[in-house]
Amino acid sequence: MALVGIIANPASGKDIRRLVAHGSVFDNIEKVNIVRRILLGLQAVGADKVLYMPDYFGIVPRAVENVHLKMSVEPLDMYCEGTQEDSTLAARLLAEEGARCLVVLGGDGTNRAVAKGSVSVPFMSVSTGTNNIFPCMVEGTIAGMAAGFVATGLVPVEDVTFPAKRLDVMIDGEAVDLALVDVALYDDIFLGSKAIWDMDRVKELVLTQAKPSNIGLSSVGGMVIDRPMPQEKGLHVLLGPSDSDEGFVVTAPVAPGLIKPVRVLEVNEISLGEEVSFDLSPAVIALDGEREVEVLPGKKVSVRLNENGPRVVDIEMTMWLAVRNKAWSPAANEEVSFYGSSGHNA
Amino acid sequence: MRKLTIRAAINEALRQEMKRDPDVYVLGEDVGVFGGCFGVTAGLIDEFGPERVIDTPITESAIVGSAVGAAATGLRPVAELMFMDFVGVTLDQIFNQAAKMRYMFGGKATIPMVIRTACGAGGSAAAQHSQSLEAWFMHVPGLKVVAPSTSYDAKGLLVSSIRDDNPVIFVEHKFIYDMEGEVPEDLYTVPLGKADVKREGSDVTVIATMAMVHRALEAAEELSKEGVSVEVVDPRTLQPLDNETIIESIKKTHKVVIVHEAVKFAGPGAEIAAMIADEAFDYLDAPVKRVAAPFTPVPFSPVLEKEYIPGKEKIINAVKELTA
Amino acid sequence: MAVEKEKLNWMYRNMLTIRNFEERVAELFAAGKCFGFVHLYVGEEAVATGVCANLRKEDYITSTHRGHGHLISKGGDLNLMMAELFGRRTGYCKGKGGSMHIADVELGILGANGIVGGGFPAAVGAGFTAKYKGTDHVVACFFGDGASNQGTFHEALNMASIWKLPVVFVNENNFYGISLSQKRSMNIPDVAARAASYNIPGVVVDGNDVLAVYEAVQEAVKRARSGEGPTLVECKTYRYRGHFEGDPTVYRTEEEVREWKKKDPIPRFETRLSQMGIMTEDQMKQLRDEISNQIEEAVKFADESPWPSPEEVLDDVYA
Repeated sequence: MALVGIIANPASGKDIRRLVAHGSVFDNIEKVNIVRRILLGLQAVGADKVLYMPDYFGIVPRAVENVHLKMSVEPLDMYCEGTQEDSTLAARLLAEEGARCLVVLGGDGTNRAVAKGSVSVPFMSVSTGTNNIFPCMVEGTIAGMAAGFVATGLVPVEDVTFPAKRLDVMIDGEAVDLALVDVALYDDIFLGSKAIWDMDRVKELVLTQAKPSNIGLSSVGGMVIDRPMPQEKGLHVLLGPSDSDEGFVVTAPVAPGLIKPVRVLEVNEISLGEEVSFDLSPAVIALDGEREVEVLPGKKVSVRLNENGPRVVDIEMTMWLAVRNKAWSPAANEEVSFYGSSGHNA
Repeated sequence: MRKLTIRAAINEALRQEMKRDPDVYVLGEDVGVFGGCFGVTAGLIDEFGPERVIDTPITESAIVGSAVGAAATGLRPVAELMFMDFVGVTLDQIFNQAAKMRYMFGGKATIPMVIRTACGAGGSAAAQHSQSLEAWFMHVPGLKVVAPSTSYDAKGLLVSSIRDDNPVIFVEHKFIYDMEGEVPEDLYTVPLGKADVKREGSDVTVIATMAMVHRALEAAEELSKEGVSVEVVDPRTLQPLDNETIIESIKKTHKVVIVHEAVKFAGPGAEIAAMIADEAFDYLDAPVKRVAAPFTPVPFSPVLEKEYIPGKEKIINAVKELTA
Repeated sequence: MAVEKEKLNWMYRNMLTIRNFEERVAELFAAGKCFGFVHLYVGEEAVATGVCANLRKEDYITSTHRGHGHLISKGGDLNLMMAELFGRRTGYCKGKGGSMHIADVELGILGANGIVGGGFPAAVGAGFTAKYKGTDHVVACFFGDGASNQGTFHEALNMASIWKLPVVFVNENNFYGISLSQKRSMNIPDVAARAASYNIPGVVVDGNDVLAVYEAVQEAVKRARSGEGPTLVECKTYRYRGHFEGDPTVYRTEEEVREWKKKDPIPRFETRLSQMGIMTEDQMKQLRDEISNQIEEAVKFADESPWPSPEEVLDDVYA
């Protein structure tokens, strides 16, 4: 059975970065629309069952309301806390149910929460959040079709997915959390409203990606290397206060619409399995752009680059392979007509 | 003396008060560039700028409510509600907020604001643009209700209303805006709560408000030809009501007719009549008569509207019933 | 987010004061000492505290029917508040207002309000005064999820936006308008989403995390003071008690209440304070005792205060 999981985070796209930066506003009605198109894409290529994370707003049930679907769309049996733990739990349950692809709607934060629940099922991540490096801006219809091809096995998973890296965060040697793109050491003692916009408080960065075309903290990495970072590498960047004269200054888009000078003191490439230790405590650790972990006085934080991140669906590759393998053609599926119900007399 | 229309007199009051006190500002729908739906605020924006003569969206609750907040924090807003009929959409801000704040807060808030609004039928504007609802506001403790009938009164009463530390409903009858009267150029005040005897007489007292003052004066003129001497009293302020002037007149005439354009049932005249019964019963030689609109919405057709609005003839008939 | 230790202490003290005051009022109400309708703020303390920690004395707030927390946070006097709840002459309103109408204009408290949504326009008006007079005062306008369905909400946001007024609209989304759940009263999950219609930034924060509220409102206040206009900050929170004292709360499950109590803002903050070495358990205990005494003093003051004399009914209708 081609089971697809949908995790649509109702809370993404609304945090304080709409105020301190210029983050896009993702209202949940649009998420409903996107999910609807995903479902239609999934059904069109033959996915036959969808299990989804229930949420207080009911994104998926609302998406189903106005379309006639043949496939089964059911909620997971879980209690919603209304926190990011919902996404983590949903991912774990979906992996246990045997989902063959996870469609994730959210930003980097949502994908991180999902990865905490499972990295074994391929991610089809659709951007509906703030800092979006991990998920991509993609039309829901296409995301649904690509996820469907992966789930049905019409294209081979190993040919159209690639492994992402992750960063494990450890306190006193014990893994407490993970990030998919960036870990930041933040000089503060409280999580507060979570987002990061005061770069003077960011002391160190550990990155799985370093691209000047990224938005968010990982863009700093992109500004300090002169060639693309190899897949098996990560980056460790030490930052200084803006008013000092050590190191050098780069200008980086650290949040949507927020382009700031950042003083860089030191840059080191790190290898898979390598661990970076932070010296500051108490402090706060930000994961994928949000303050998430409080480091109590006397605690020691380290970050390890890990190759076992989630597998990610390459949409373009999936669609090309589907065509080349004649995996699917509209004519073969009577339920779907791209030409309207009255037919198309060319 | 120089003559001004009521419209121009109100405009002058606003202009002179705004000049005198920088805390006074004007807000409302189309009061700025357009000069007000009835042209009352014309030219103010040129003199005081859009910061003090503020065109608002069509948003009556926010017009009145923001004036309440501004008044509570030190300004003296003069809000215009284009038609009195529109008070319905902002009534909460008037009677639950503006009117009661001082009392609810134990005397610790001061809400010095004016709501100017146009009442009255006569132009086939029909049921939602023609009403006279002043009695609604007379019923709410905390509000003052002002209803001028002449240019002189309009200017002086508006100046007093702006300077008053309470929310004041300033009712302007839209079909007397063009009436002219003598108005001094200097700033002056007409005190709130003081009625005016518009014509002295000895046989019957006619208490009339706003446009009806003029109908009453016409009636009095005609009756005088028949030997009936009518005294016309204009309360000018309906809350507080000048009981004393009214009673003094009744002591002289012993007969009274109350005339207003609002509907008769529970209209302003009901309160005035009750007050007279309470305080001047012994001076009365006849029952109190009321001439007012019938208990219907304001009709549209000119024929029906003419029947609706109390006219000179009805006043004359009422007086004659008392003097027969 | 640099928060001085003093401010953290104030936040803790303030949340405890509100909790303690409200729980005491619940007892006093049950005992017949307070009258009328009383709507308690227990569970929502982090919102008023986090917001008012950003305000100065000359800034303004408009409050709601559930206003005790706002008043305490803006510096309201506990004795005068309690005496008002007791209907005494010494109360804030000389016994004329009661719980839903306490105000202290000197402290910028423009009044609790018995009309849901009644306070929006006044907040806009106070913001207008600030702009008109060229001060940098700001207004925090507290309102619930239910109030955002009132027309005044939309009129006020629109007016504040077009005139760029220094108003921070603080939504306390406790998920219920009296008995009607938010799910049944609006077809969107976030009140903040409504800000977009007025070209105002709208953000959602955890209303049970005083520091999250503090930081978000800090940015909104900064924006307001510098003339950039209004912001809507939605704080998701929960009231532990009913809508009013005596509400049988048949519209929600005990499980839901239990889940929210796990997120109680006060123990959460206590844990942070002690973990981060800001305050020791002993210091917290001392503070708790101190506040408890303060509340008892307020009760004593109220209880010993004279009733208004009947003829005072006529005072203060007009200025």
